[in-house]
Amino acid sequence: MFEPPIQRLVDELARLPGIGRKSAQRLAFHLLNTEEADALRLADAIVEMRRSVRLCSRCFNVTADEECAICRDPRRDPSILCVVERAQDIPVIERTGTFSGRYHVLGGAMNPIAGIGVEELRMRELVGRVETEHVAEVIVATNPTLEGDTTAMYISRLLKPAGVRVTRLASGLPVGGDLDYADEVTLGRALDGRKEL
Amino acid sequence: MRLRWLELTDVRVHRRVVFEPAEGLNVLVGGNGAGKTTLLEGIGYLARARSFRGTPEEDLIRRGAAGAILRGEFEVGGGRRRVEVELPRGSRRRILVDGKRPRRLRDLVGTFPVVVFHPDDLDLVKAGPGLRREYLDDLAAGLWPEAAVVQDDAETALRQRNAFLRAAGPAAEAAILDVWDAQYAAAGARVYEYRRRVIAAVGAPLEATYRLVGGAGEVRWRYEPTWLGEDTEPEEAILDALRRRRGRDLELRRTSAGPHRDDPVLELDGRPLRSAASQGEQRTAALACRLAALVVLGNHRGEEPVLLVDDVLSELDPGRVDGVLRALPQGQVFLTTTDEGLPRGTRWKVAPDLVEVAG
Repeated sequence: MFEPPIQRLVDELARLPGIGRKSAQRLAFHLLNTEEADALRLADAIVEMRRSVRLCSRCFNVTADEECAICRDPRRDPSILCVVERAQDIPVIERTGTFSGRYHVLGGAMNPIAGIGVEELRMRELVGRVETEHVAEVIVATNPTLEGDTTAMYISRLLKPAGVRVTRLASGLPVGGDLDYADEVTLGRALDGRKEL
Repeated sequence: MRLRWLELTDVRVHRRVVFEPAEGLNVLVGGNGAGKTTLLEGIGYLARARSFRGTPEEDLIRRGAAGAILRGEFEVGGGRRRVEVELPRGSRRRILVDGKRPRRLRDLVGTFPVVVFHPDDLDLVKAGPGLRREYLDDLAAGLWPEAAVVQDDAETALRQRNAFLRAAGPAAEAAILDVWDAQYAAAGARVYEYRRRVIAAVGAPLEATYRLVGGAGEVRWRYEPTWLGEDTEPEEAILDALRRRRGRDLELRRTSAGPHRDDPVLELDGRPLRSAASQGEQRTAALACRLAALVVLGNHRGEEPVLLVDDVLSELDPGRVDGVLRALPQGQVFLTTTDEGLPRGTRWKVAPDLVEVAG
């Protein structure tokens, strides 16, 4: 046990993902021994982030404004929607530089074991956007897990009456990798999703 | 495959024991509580990342010790691979393969092929259908890695469907149940197809091994799922069954039909072994099943799995013991016994903290 103020910080840090007891202690003592201004800047950054960041009223991405930068960007094509599980999936797709539509953050995938049903996800909002924003294509980019696949299937059935095109991200081989390094499952999926040349 | 060496630290009765086995048959002799089975358990744990007795990890740790360490090296696929497992009491286990943490445990399935015989094997023939499904599914996973993935998917889809039924109750939204039905039907159909492929692959070897261990008559698998219709595809058939029983499932709040409820049975001359055979015939058939798995796995990989035989032979009469020993493949075998009289192989004396060649 440390002095109460230090112990309190250690306990808080240890609750963070990927941080164990030992790392929490090391971080706490680092913050104690570093310049006071550096430590306070970190505290301030946390406070500032929590106070200012909220969810985009349109797509539920994280933003400091009413709408996120992507939804406000007039060059983005509003007729294509990419559905992701979480806001942190957006920068991953953005880095590809090949998607110019808008996003919709579901807030997870259907997972009854974890207590997540469609009510906990932003499905109704998705249907509403498809109807009001003249969406022509919905790309479902949920994770390639059983839960992500199930959610994708639900979305495609849900949107069928709206007459919109629903597509799913392909799964396949990593670019630049050797065929003989791919596991059987990935290779099997890549075969299923093969393309005409 | 061959085990080069095994080192157990604070595992059950052993504080520390190092074992460098011979090729071929290794006979481990010792009294009750000497730690013979622990050695088999250690080998099995390194190869499969789980205990073959299905015991929780915590039970492997020696009483009073803070944690157990299991290490060993296998010669497999033309190379040497070292596996190390640390089981700290009260926290997560750590597994290293060749000094590195494997990315996913799933990738290791089938890398280190072992087959286990133990006294509970009789249940394969005698008890409910769970063990027979497990036998077929495990063998499928050993033969075709993709089978392990679809088994995983089917299990997850089923658990998710059941969780949904439990939470939603009779007023469950049909469109949601529809997608879980579709997922379970797709994965479940694949599980069923793999079981079929296993039964086809194991048919001839099973007849041969049954005769080798002294059985008379014809043993075969019979697998007729109740949900399977006349000329429908399995996936369609499961989907149909789920649809037909939906009202019932909503009431029961669980899934009442599908491959997870199937009962593949073993038959002797067309009669079910479970009820219509003697205890001796059942025991012989159970052993023949394990041996057949060994033969099929060995042929498939071009390399014999390591065989772990835990105190099975003591329950057979001497004539059958000889049949079993002759039926064993040429690979490395570990066999525990309290009987000093077994004639073949390298004999080891086992006691707590001790494994030595018996003079």
